[in-house]
Amino acid sequence: MSQRRVSHSQSRPSASRQVIEDDEEDLSFTLPSSSQVQRGMDRLTSAEVDRKVAEVVQFILIKDQKKVPIKRADIIKNVIKENRNIYPEIMKKVNMTFEKVFGLKLVEIDVKNHAFILVNNLEQVTDRLASMNPAHPKTGLLFVILSVIFMKGGAVKEAVVWNTLKKLRVDPGERHEEFGDVKKLLTDEFVRQKYLEYARIPHTDPPEHEFRWGLRAESEVSKTRLLEFVAQLHEKEPQNWPKQYKEATTSDARSSQAS
Amino acid sequence: MSESSRSANQQNGVRGRGGDSEEEDDEEEMLLGGPSATQEDDDEDPAQRRQIRHQYRELINCVQQNREDMLNPSNNKLTEVLVEANKLFANVRQAREAALDAQFLVLATDLGKEKANQLHADGSAFDPSAFAEHLLSFMGLNRLEEDDGMEDAAGGGYLPEDAWLRLAHRAGSCFRKAPTFHFMLGSFLAEPPPPRQRVERQRKAPSKEVKRIMPTQLKKMEESQQEATEKEVERILGFLQSYHNENPELPISYYEFVIDPQSFSRTVENIFHISFLIRDGLAKIYLDQNKLPCIDLCCSAGFAPVPREEAEATSSSSRQQCVISINQSSWREIIEAFDITAAMISSSAPTESASSQ
Repeated sequence: MSQRRVSHSQSRPSASRQVIEDDEEDLSFTLPSSSQVQRGMDRLTSAEVDRKVAEVVQFILIKDQKKVPIKRADIIKNVIKENRNIYPEIMKKVNMTFEKVFGLKLVEIDVKNHAFILVNNLEQVTDRLASMNPAHPKTGLLFVILSVIFMKGGAVKEAVVWNTLKKLRVDPGERHEEFGDVKKLLTDEFVRQKYLEYARIPHTDPPEHEFRWGLRAESEVSKTRLLEFVAQLHEKEPQNWPKQYKEATTSDARSSQAS
Repeated sequence: MSESSRSANQQNGVRGRGGDSEEEDDEEEMLLGGPSATQEDDDEDPAQRRQIRHQYRELINCVQQNREDMLNPSNNKLTEVLVEANKLFANVRQAREAALDAQFLVLATDLGKEKANQLHADGSAFDPSAFAEHLLSFMGLNRLEEDDGMEDAAGGGYLPEDAWLRLAHRAGSCFRKAPTFHFMLGSFLAEPPPPRQRVERQRKAPSKEVKRIMPTQLKKMEESQQEATEKEVERILGFLQSYHNENPELPISYYEFVIDPQSFSRTVENIFHISFLIRDGLAKIYLDQNKLPCIDLCCSAGFAPVPREEAEATSSSSRQQCVISINQSSWREIIEAFDITAAMISSSAPTESASSQ
């Protein structure tokens, strides 16, 4: 069991973050109080602080290449190092930089374990030619799986996913031309990137698993747009699925509130 | 021991087993699924207990095997199974059987939850198979129109190569994906610089040899320079002394002494060497009654002050300096004026005295 430690010198932190640390990895780190931050800032020149901010930004940009969530512990250990007493101030500036300079957003998808991802802050363009993002076939595959999960209420048994993919000429038992080892792609890569969750269903023998949306998918994917496209494919209106429609609109409202 | 356990079980009022006073209310208890509380000694009977356990295990097994069946929303099998278990529990007296009952309960609740979830989703009528068909059309499936009907399980036709890419482009707008950081002009593979040691070694070898030659040459030059001057000065002193000895009273004209009518450069050298003699106090220059410079030996070397040309000839207390200059035209004038035909200081060493023009 991991320890629970409450930072006694904690006054109101800048962002509404958890104070209690019960993560194994950054047991050594508790958020500094605002007075500690102030003292730390007084000791450094603004140029030094800016330099640290730039280093953190660069670190995150490169770490994001693999699309695996970035741990706060890694940021502190590798970049911030001895300046951890002004961590909140640095991160505040980092967030600002990402938003104002890159049009990206640093989202803490795992508040308990403190993991971040980068998300696009700009309005996504539907038009294929106008879109700046290069498309990857994996995105199409991921879309299919996420739609099925969403339309089926948030969790599906893996058998449903495999059967659907088989109909699309993607057989998890065989090596696919474009995707290679499909089973590994879904249960390993997408899970590590936090697009999917692959959880064991209890009391099943032989063991069965179900797929759910991962934490990254929750932050990155617009349910409204997803439903729109699904509806378009069915040549129906999104309102045709009232439960999903409601879920999509409330979910998007929630995420736009949070930003 | 048995008595206390019985009373404990009696307190298990949930399943309808009340105390002795409620024995008359059999009907109610029947509805709840529990038999009337006939206080027999069946809680002691190991055979019955075994029976109960067996029945529980069978029930659990049955549920696990027919899981799909249980989940089917069209039947009430899950409820039936729960009723079964309830009946069984009525006979449970001891912890061991109760544990099995608990195990079953967990299984049943999980199923119940799943069934409820299904109910929730099915209401919206989403069929993954139909969805797949729509997707295939979007991706540009070319359905072959063949009368043979050679459609395999996956359906006829073939997908174009860019099928998934096409889907990815359209679906991409659903994702707020951050563009991946990459270098615009690509990166390069840094290689260590090729070893430069060879060049350095080659350079070192010749430089050593060059140095060796230098010292020998230098030594010679230094010796010659120093000696030459001293020797000349001494030689000139010698001349001065010999002339003085010949005619002690006769003053020597400075110009006649110095000038070499054959060579201007020698003349200059003579002036230079004589200046050393004067500096050292071995000779002196003074003006005679005709205001012409004359040179004479000093009485005691090193101490006697040397008068200047313009200074009064008699004064010998102060040391004075002057600068003597001569150029070629003056040199020729003096030769003519004094009618100098031969040098009083003859040239000695084989140093090249190229007569300068």
